[in-house]
Amino acid sequence: MNLFKKDLKKTPGNITLFVLGDMIGPEKNCNRLLHRLINPKSNDLQPWCIYGWWEEQILLESGYRGDQRAEALRINKGEEVVKSLTNAVDKSFLDWIAALQFGFVELDCGLIHGSSKDVGENLTLDTPPLTLLDRLTRLQVNRLFTARSKQQFHLELTEGIVNSEVEDLNGNRKKEQKVPQKAVIGIGAGKNYTLYDVGTDNTQFVQAGYKTEKRIKGFGRL
Amino acid sequence: MNQAVISCLHANLPAVEAVLKDIELQGITNITCLGDLVGYGPQPNKVIELIRDKEIPTCQGCWDEDVVDGLDACDCSYPSQLAEKRGHFAHQWTTDKLTTENKDYLANLPYSIRKDKCLFVHGSPNSQHEYLLPDMDAFAALERVENARAEILFCGHTHQPYIRELADGSIAVKIKNAVPKDTQEKEIQLPMRRIVNAGSVGEPRHGGTKATYVVYNDVTNEVKIREVEYDIELTCKAIIDAGLPPIFAWRLKNGFEFAEQAEDASHVCER
Ligand SMILES: [Zn+2]
Ligand SMILES: [Zn+2]
Repeated sequence: MNLFKKDLKKTPGNITLFVLGDMIGPEKNCNRLLHRLINPKSNDLQPWCIYGWWEEQILLESGYRGDQRAEALRINKGEEVVKSLTNAVDKSFLDWIAALQFGFVELDCGLIHGSSKDVGENLTLDTPPLTLLDRLTRLQVNRLFTARSKQQFHLELTEGIVNSEVEDLNGNRKKEQKVPQKAVIGIGAGKNYTLYDVGTDNTQFVQAGYKTEKRIKGFGRL
Repeated sequence: MNQAVISCLHANLPAVEAVLKDIELQGITNITCLGDLVGYGPQPNKVIELIRDKEIPTCQGCWDEDVVDGLDACDCSYPSQLAEKRGHFAHQWTTDKLTTENKDYLANLPYSIRKDKCLFVHGSPNSQHEYLLPDMDAFAALERVENARAEILFCGHTHQPYIRELADGSIAVKIKNAVPKDTQEKEIQLPMRRIVNAGSVGEPRHGGTKATYVVYNDVTNEVKIREVEYDIELTCKAIIDAGLPPIFAWRLKNGFEFAEQAEDASHVCER
């Protein structure tokens, strides 16, 4: 986290910092990090955070989703991991986590943890383009930033076309539908983060601790 | 072989009987029902019992789910607040009238039925409450069929029958900023897929008054929309006698139900 913030301070230009979820996890105590995100130091960038898959698990387990509990996590990773997760986060942070948004829409960019369908959905280079297009359409954006897969990629959907013919009681109608250029961007995880330049539509995949030069906006997942 | 697909019976017994007769007259024995056996109409138990007697494979519709699980739909289920109020009234009336046995039957209906390359659902593969409208985004429509691993998707719920073919599709992709630096480009061909909406037997919303359903020939792949007349007066009288909102009878008689459709075709049900 510190490395990451130092890095961004050195990056010139106007930077908005987005944190695409999974701020917490079962591996280590998360309280200091959460405290810093909620109360940034005077020279920190103000982080814009959304909730991720681990936040969803702790909210489920802590009764923020009605009667549901984090059963999928319990079945897949065991009771120990569920306990570690609840121990890693002080209860005083839960209301803040519960108030986090599912995603942000900025200009024509959507920023989410998994996908616009599900916080746990992995979007990767191997996801069928039709699925990617659907996830973009659901948010009505042209750029979708995702973190869940932990991968860094910039996949452009440069052109799409499909012919539709509808027959109903009023007769037949044909239509050719095209899609404008769109993109899905995997921003990476941990030390890897992504800088995005809104002006040029270019991405830069960065590892915290390495030098960067451009005037860009940063989207990171911690 | 011809098969019939029916949907949205909505407790309208005269309409269901007329449609089943029409199917029988064509010598069709293979029938699939896409749910919404109840709701709006005055004969919920009789309609369920008829479908059960004939052992017609049926998916669970949005009304079938709601009378069992309680109302829990996202806003998209009703086009207006007034429609919502009337819908809630009909929901309560139906819940009160249904026998325990028939409620159990609705509760245990499958969400979807798969037969070879065909998938049968009520709303969409995502939800009983999602509308697949005839002119929705073509890529999103294709995604629903493709991700359900089907070639033909049969749905209902909109109460408007249609056949939609999505063909000759492609998406070109380019990997930008790749490591190693070489940009990769490729074009993915999209498969031809179809969405067939069976319309509604008991609550048409196509502007007319006739009951609709579809006949699918699994050899020639042809789909035909069928319109069937039934004794509307009989249903209307039963609606009034049952104490259901008179507008339910009025719109059946005038074919005005189409005035109340979900407005936002791009809305994705978040339920
Ligand atoms: Zn219906
Ligand atoms: Zn329905």
